[in-house]
Amino acid sequence: MRVRRLGWDAIGIAVFVVMVFPVFWMISTAFKQDDQIISLTPTWIPLHPTIAHFTNAIHRPYFWQDVENSLIIVCVTVAISIVLAFLAAVALARYGFSGRKLFVLLVIGIQMLPQAGLIIPLYVVLAKYHQVNALSGVVITYLTFVLPFSVWTLRGFLLGIPKELEEAAMVDGSTRLGVFMKILLPLMGPGLVATSVFAFITTWNEYIFARVLLNDQSKQTVTVWLSYFYGTSRHTDWGALMAASTLTAIPVVVFFLLVQRKIAFGLTAGAVRG
Amino acid sequence: MKRRSIVALCVTAVLAAAIAATTSGATQKATGNSITVWLQTDAQSGWPDVVAAANQKFQSDHPGWTANVQYQSWGDHLQKLDATLAAGGGNGPDVVEMGDTETTKYMAAGAFAPLTKSQFDNSATWLGSLAKSGTYSGKLYAVPYYAGSRVVTYRTDLFKKAGIKVPATLAQYQADAKKLLAKNNKKGFSPVYIAGTDWYVAMSFVFDYGGGIATRVSGQWKGLLASKNSIAGLTAYKNFFTAASRASKTTDETHPNPYDVYAQGQVASMLGPSWFSCCVGKKYTGSTAQFVMPGHVKGQAMPGFLGGSDLAVPVTSSNKALAADWIADFTSTSSERALQKKGNIPNATNLLGNTVNERAASRSWFVPTAKHWVDVENGNILRNMLAQILTGKLSIKQAAQSASDNIASVLNQP
Amino acid sequence: METSRRRRRAWGRAGRGSVPYLLIAPVVAVIAVILGYPLYYLVRISLQQYGLFELIQHKGIAIGLRNYHSVLHDQVFWHTLVRTVVFTAANVSLTMVIGMLLALLLTVVSAPVRVLLSSGLVLVWSMPVVVAVQVWYWMTNYENGVLNYVLTKLGIGDYSQHDWYGTPFSQLSMVTLLIVWGALPFVVITLYAGLAQVPGDLLEAAAVDGAAPWRAFRDITVPLLKPILLILTSLSIIWDFGVFTQPYLLIGQSKITSGNYLMSIYLFEEGYFKTDYGRGAAISLLMLVIVAVLSVVYVRRMVRIGVSE
Repeated sequence: MRVRRLGWDAIGIAVFVVMVFPVFWMISTAFKQDDQIISLTPTWIPLHPTIAHFTNAIHRPYFWQDVENSLIIVCVTVAISIVLAFLAAVALARYGFSGRKLFVLLVIGIQMLPQAGLIIPLYVVLAKYHQVNALSGVVITYLTFVLPFSVWTLRGFLLGIPKELEEAAMVDGSTRLGVFMKILLPLMGPGLVATSVFAFITTWNEYIFARVLLNDQSKQTVTVWLSYFYGTSRHTDWGALMAASTLTAIPVVVFFLLVQRKIAFGLTAGAVRG
Repeated sequence: MKRRSIVALCVTAVLAAAIAATTSGATQKATGNSITVWLQTDAQSGWPDVVAAANQKFQSDHPGWTANVQYQSWGDHLQKLDATLAAGGGNGPDVVEMGDTETTKYMAAGAFAPLTKSQFDNSATWLGSLAKSGTYSGKLYAVPYYAGSRVVTYRTDLFKKAGIKVPATLAQYQADAKKLLAKNNKKGFSPVYIAGTDWYVAMSFVFDYGGGIATRVSGQWKGLLASKNSIAGLTAYKNFFTAASRASKTTDETHPNPYDVYAQGQVASMLGPSWFSCCVGKKYTGSTAQFVMPGHVKGQAMPGFLGGSDLAVPVTSSNKALAADWIADFTSTSSERALQKKGNIPNATNLLGNTVNERAASRSWFVPTAKHWVDVENGNILRNMLAQILTGKLSIKQAAQSASDNIASVLNQP
Repeated sequence: METSRRRRRAWGRAGRGSVPYLLIAPVVAVIAVILGYPLYYLVRISLQQYGLFELIQHKGIAIGLRNYHSVLHDQVFWHTLVRTVVFTAANVSLTMVIGMLLALLLTVVSAPVRVLLSSGLVLVWSMPVVVAVQVWYWMTNYENGVLNYVLTKLGIGDYSQHDWYGTPFSQLSMVTLLIVWGALPFVVITLYAGLAQVPGDLLEAAAVDGAAPWRAFRDITVPLLKPILLILTSLSIIWDFGVFTQPYLLIGQSKITSGNYLMSIYLFEEGYFKTDYGRGAAISLLMLVIVAVLSVVYVRRMVRIGVSE
C-alpha cells in the first residue's frame, strides 16, 4: 500500500510541476533583473534576485486603495451570492413547484448570454440610478453573473446528497430547519466551499465591467490597477507587471488555504482506507 | 465552523465600509464644481507636471471649479466612451483624448461638440495632419494636442565598428546594412529591425516614392496602392526588408517589441517612434542615438507617420464651455513648450524645434481621413498585404491590387 | 418499500406552498432588476440599424430582421460557427477527461501532496487571465520562448525560432492548451468536492463485499457524481463556446482574420469594433440560441434529475 501511495505521490508531484510552471515563471520573473528578463537564454532561478519590481509595484498610485476596493467588492458579492444561491438551490433540488422549469431556464439562459453585448445597456441602466463609479454598482453587476452558476453548481451538490439521510432524520422527529442545519449544511461543506472559491476568483479577476463602471482611480479594483502596467502604448515594464500580478494573486491563495481543509475533511472522514 | 466565522468576519468587516463607499460613490455624478478629463496613461507617466500646471491655471481662472483627470488605456478607452455616449446625461467625460486616427469616425457620428478655433493658441499654424484630424465638414471638433514621428534609433558603437556614418539616402542605408551584417554575423541579428507587417514603416516607403493609400475623387474613395509609384515604394520596402531585417515576416511591431530585441543586443538600428530610446536596456543606453530616416532622394527625409492625439468635448458633457477652457489651457503655448521638452512634437509649426523627432516631422504622411478608416486598420488589410508580399505568397502587384480594392470598398461604405 | 415511498411522497407534498417561491425570490429579483432592461435593449436594437450615430441620438431605425438576415447569409458566420463547435468539443472533452483523472489522483495521494497539488491548482486559478496570456505567449514565442528552448535542448528536434502562431490550427491549439490549463482547477476542485461527498461507508461496504475499486467507481461514485459531471460539462460548453479574452490576446489583434475567428471574436469584430451595435446584438442573441441548442442534451438530463418521484 505504501509503495503504491508513493507512486501516486510521485505522479502528483510531476503534475504539480507541469501545471504550476507558468505561475512559477511569473513569480521568478518578478524577482529577475531587467536584462535577465529579456535575455535570449532563459534564467530559471534568478541567482541575484531583486525586490525592486515589488517595491515599484506597491508604490504605484492607488495600490492599497484598489486592493481594499477589490476585497470589499469580492467579499460582499461572495457572501450575498452564496446565501441567496444556496436558498434557491434548495428550492430547485428538494421541492417541486410550478414555474420551476422556467426558473431553471432563466438560470441557465443568463450564462449563455455573451457578456460583451451587455456592457453598454448595463452601463445605461446603472447610470440612471447613480450606480456608476460606485462600488455598489459593481457588486450588483457581479451578483447577476455569479448567482446563476452558483445556483446551478450548488443544486448539483445538493442532488448528490442522498435524500435518505434527510428522510431518516425527519422520521426521527427533527424539524425541517433542524434537518437543514444538522444534516444538509455540514454535508454541503465541500460544495459551498468550492462554489465560494469560484465566486471569489471570478469576481476578483473580473476586468471589463470594473473597467467600464469605475472611473476614479481611487475606486477601481486591483485588476484595473494591474491593467495600467500593460495598457500603455509605450514600454511595458515586465518585471513590475509580474510582481504586481503576483501580489494580486495572493489574497485568492490565502482565501483558498483557509478553506481548503473543509474539502479534505469530508473525504478523510468518509474513507478509512489503507 | 472555521469557514463560517471567516465568512461572518468578511461580511461584517466590509459591509460597513461598503455602505460608506456606496453613499460617497452615489453622489459622484457630475456636481456643479468639477469637470472630468480623460487623458491617456502616456500623460500620467510622461508629463504629469504639465497636466498639473494646466489644472492649476484652470482652477485660478474658474474659482470653485476643479479638473478631475482620469487616465485611460488605449485598448479600451473607446468602449468606455461608447458606454458614456449611450448613457448620456452628464455621465461621461467633459474632455476626452482621442488618437488622431480615431477622431473621424466619431466626428461623423456627431459625438463631439463644435469648438471655436480662435479660442486656442497657435491655431493658425497647427500641424497639417493633426488639424485635419480634428475638422469635419469645415467645423472644428477636436484640438491638436501633440504628435510623434518616426525616427531611427541606432547603436553608435556598432556603426563605428562597421566604419559607417549616418546614411544620407536609402540606397546608402541598404549598403550599410550589408556591412553591419558582415561584422555581426550571429543568428537573428538585424542591421535594421523592422517587423514584417509594420505598415507604418511600409507606407513611409510608399509615400516616399510618391504613392499613397487612397484618395477622394468626386466624393468616392479610390485606392492608390496599385499605382505605379506605390508599387515602386512597396518594391523598395521588400528589398530593404530582405536586406536588412531578420524579424518575422508575418508578425507585427509589438510581437516582440523592437526595443526588447534591441536590448538583447540583436539589433543595430530600428525604425520607430522617438520614445523607443527609453527602453533600450541599461547596457546600451550610453551607445544609443537617433537620426532621421533618409528617403531615396538625397536631401529628403523619408516621410514618417505623424501619429498624435487630439482633445475633444463629447456632446453629452454638461460643462462644454468649461471643457473648452481647460483644453485651451492644456494646449497653450507654454503648455506645448513643456510637452516639447518631454520629447513630444508640439501641435504647431511655429513651435517646432530642431530635435531629431521634430526634423523627421518635416516630411510626414497621414491616413485617409475617412470615417471607416478604423475598419481598414482593424481588418488588418495592410498587414495581410505586407505578409503576402514578404513571404512571396502573392506578387507585389497582385497583393497591392487586392488590398487597394478592399480598402476602397471599406471606405466607400455608407 | 411501501412505507419509504409514502414517506417520500410526504416530503414532496410538503414542497407545495409558498416556501420554494420565497427561496428563489431573491435570486429572481436580482436578475430581473439588473438584466431586465439590458435584455430588452439587446432584442430591441437587434431589430434596428444602430450604429455610433444612432447610439448618440439614442434612437435607431427599425429595419426588422435585416440584421439577422445579413448575419445568417454571411459565409464567415457559418465557417466560424463550425470552427467554434469543433474548438468547444476539443476543449470540453480535454478538460473533463483530464479533470476527472486529476480529481481521482487527489483522492489517492498522501495528505501533504494533496495540499501541494490543490494549492498549485488554486495558484493557477488565481492568475488573472490577461497575465496568464502574457506569460503563456512569452513561454511560446519564437524569439526566446522557454518552450522552444526546452524542446531543442531535450533533443526532440530543432525548435529554435519555431513559430507556434503561424497557422490558424496551431494558433487555436495554443489557445486550447491555455484554456484547458486555466479551466482544470475549477473542474478538478469541484469534482474532488463531489468525490468527498460520496459517503465513505458506501464505498467501505462495497470493499467489504469484495468489489474491485473500478466497479465501485462505476456503480457507486459515478451515479452520485452524475449531477456534478453534467453541470460541469454544460458550464464548460457554455464558457468555451463564448470564450473571448484568451484567443483575442494570445493570437493578437493584428493576426485575427476571418480564417481564425471564434464566435465571440466574430461578435466583437463585426458588432462592436465596427460599432454596428444592432448587428452585434443580433449576433449575441444568435449565439445564445446556438449555445442553448448545443447544451440542451445535458441541460435536459440535468433538469430531469431530481424531478423524479
